[in-house]
Amino acid sequence: MSDNIEFLNSGPLAPFKKWGTKWSLWPVHLVTACCGVELAHAYASGYDGERLGSLNYGISRQTNLIIVEGAISRKMARVLRITYEQMPDPKFVIVMGACGLKGGIFWNGYHMVRPSDVVPVDLFIPGCPPTPESLLRAIRSLQEKIMSGEAKNTIEFREFDLSSVEGRSCPALPPTTPKVIAPTPAIKVDVEREVEWSFGKKLVKRFEKELEGLYDSIKITGKNRIAISTDRKRVVKIAQILSAEFDHVKNVNVIDVPHERSFIVEYHISSYSVRELMPVVVNIFAKIPRDDPKFPSLMTYWQSADYLEREMYDFFGVVFEGNPAMGEKFLLAPDTPDFPLRKDRKIRDECYCMEVKE
Amino acid sequence: MEAVYELLKAVSKEHFMENMVSIPLIQPVIDNLLNIPLVGYVVALILWKPMFALLIFPGLLTLMTVLLFIIWFERKLTARIQWRRGPLEILRWAGGIIQALADGLRYFFQEVIVHRDAHKPYFIQLPILIFIPVLLPLLFIPAGSIVGIKTPYALPVVVAIVSLIPVFIVAIGWASNSRFAYVGTIREAFMYFAYEIPFILSVVAMILVYGTADMTAIVEKQTIPGIILNPVAALVFFISTIMATSRLPFEIPEADQEIAFGPFVEYSGIMFGLVMTIAYEKMYILALLMSVLFLGGGNGFPIPLLGDLAPVIWMFLKTMAVMVALAFLRSIYARFRLDQALRLSWTTMLKISAVAVLIGAALNIAQVA
Ligand code: SF4
Repeated sequence: MSDNIEFLNSGPLAPFKKWGTKWSLWPVHLVTACCGVELAHAYASGYDGERLGSLNYGISRQTNLIIVEGAISRKMARVLRITYEQMPDPKFVIVMGACGLKGGIFWNGYHMVRPSDVVPVDLFIPGCPPTPESLLRAIRSLQEKIMSGEAKNTIEFREFDLSSVEGRSCPALPPTTPKVIAPTPAIKVDVEREVEWSFGKKLVKRFEKELEGLYDSIKITGKNRIAISTDRKRVVKIAQILSAEFDHVKNVNVIDVPHERSFIVEYHISSYSVRELMPVVVNIFAKIPRDDPKFPSLMTYWQSADYLEREMYDFFGVVFEGNPAMGEKFLLAPDTPDFPLRKDRKIRDECYCMEVKE
Repeated sequence: MEAVYELLKAVSKEHFMENMVSIPLIQPVIDNLLNIPLVGYVVALILWKPMFALLIFPGLLTLMTVLLFIIWFERKLTARIQWRRGPLEILRWAGGIIQALADGLRYFFQEVIVHRDAHKPYFIQLPILIFIPVLLPLLFIPAGSIVGIKTPYALPVVVAIVSLIPVFIVAIGWASNSRFAYVGTIREAFMYFAYEIPFILSVVAMILVYGTADMTAIVEKQTIPGIILNPVAALVFFISTIMATSRLPFEIPEADQEIAFGPFVEYSGIMFGLVMTIAYEKMYILALLMSVLFLGGGNGFPIPLLGDLAPVIWMFLKTMAVMVALAFLRSIYARFRLDQALRLSWTTMLKISAVAVLIGAALNIAQVA
């Protein structure tokens, strides 16, 4: 079998095969991220990639080129691999964009993979996003690569001796690192603010009466915004009382504060049924210790908290007791590292030289 | 003994030369060639009218040229309508006209994947078997005096064979055993019933108009082209041709944006090349049929120098005109939904085709009286 393939690749028919493949590079429709817009542009009337005989077409079985359009997340990696496996040989892969090279703006994200780890890549196009010209350029160089059978740089840069440049007063130094890290940033959820909001002041009065003994503080943090500070033992009682008027949770939020060894859990609640409460968002928050991240689930009072709590469990590992779906991955791909948004997660080191394994 | 003698006579050079395509322009050359022993035999065989019909027009050679041309032309036309250039760089000075050749070569050398769920024997042989109903009709279609098989039932035979093609497509979808193929196959079956009845009725209308089903006679009778005699039938025939070849706006069984080429979804490499061209081949046959039934076939000014080749050229031009019109539709229409297309063909088209039959019957009675 491999003899036959060898014959096709180097026998008397090889020039026909190469020529046909060269002028018929059909990319499959696999739009993964925003670079796809530039791909569309490259094939629309402005640049017209079809001039090169390249046509966006159907599905992987009938095509021979994958253009990875930017970011590949863990979930899309599977799709990319399946698409690649479905494609008949000979097949080629071009990776577009900074995201496909090293992660781009998603650099170090827990959800990113490099396309070159998933499929063999023929050409990379740098840029965020690369211009349509550079995409067409890549297709041209892929054509050349098919004809000659070897990879070449798309552009040969001229050597330039910098020492001869006149007018340079100081020696060129590498730029210093721009990273500034504050060791213990203060994280305060309820910064009080003076606003013209008489209804809010009335509301705070009412809350203070209704929630007697259940809160640490109630503050107005802006127009239509109220923050109630409490702890995890008393929060259920607060939820029970407030759920009479406030009928849904807008958002469940966790803030990781590693230097205080704690998480802050926030529930933003609001109302669809009481007219004057509609614009009001009340933030109920509590601090919990980091080594015992448990919080009572408020799902019994607010059904909409269910998915949000699961998502927060995915990201931070805060266990919402009472939510039946704790302990399993909800939206993240199965192979994502556990609790990726915790600040002490080890990020992958930057690596410029790779060891080549024999 | 008698039989062997008959057979030998049937394959002899003299027998071929009795019924040869005569081209006055290059007659001296042909005469010279005929005198060379083996070459002469081959030349006589090729120029023997039935063989000429099979190999050159309307047969294989023209079919291949038309395929390569129309696929390129379609892409180029779509590109021009969208303010683009279309395939170009492959052969700059000729506008990239050999683009379809490159695509064909690429498919030819690509891997053919037969997936695990496919019914392997049928999956592989059906795209090849389908060439029987695709190529057979070409033998019955006359260009002037050049015709493969001359029979008074040519028209019903062609229509019957063409109707077999969707059966093969349904079989292909079944053998592929994938969900997109399944959806596409169902759609193909629905469309098949929907266009077949108006299509056959419009052909019947034209048989009534001419009073015969012999295509040579039909062409001879068309002093006035059929499209003027019965424009309604021509309209129905044209629309059902679009449906039958699943062109836009009726590209419902294939619909690559939603069901990824329907019945053909699992084919790769040269197999896909074969099944993809089916629609174009069918389009070629139906365009030939349209030019015979409605546009006067090989009728045109006789060109004395070209002799028997003149009707061939006229017919080729008419067929290409029909095909170009069909290709044009692709770039300017959006697709109908299946139910819309079915409603259209089962109501409006059926009514119009009934009217076409009435017109045909009226003309027939007028001729007899
Ligand atoms: S490289 Fe830029 S444009 Fe391309 S996918 Fe990444 S962020 Fe989007």
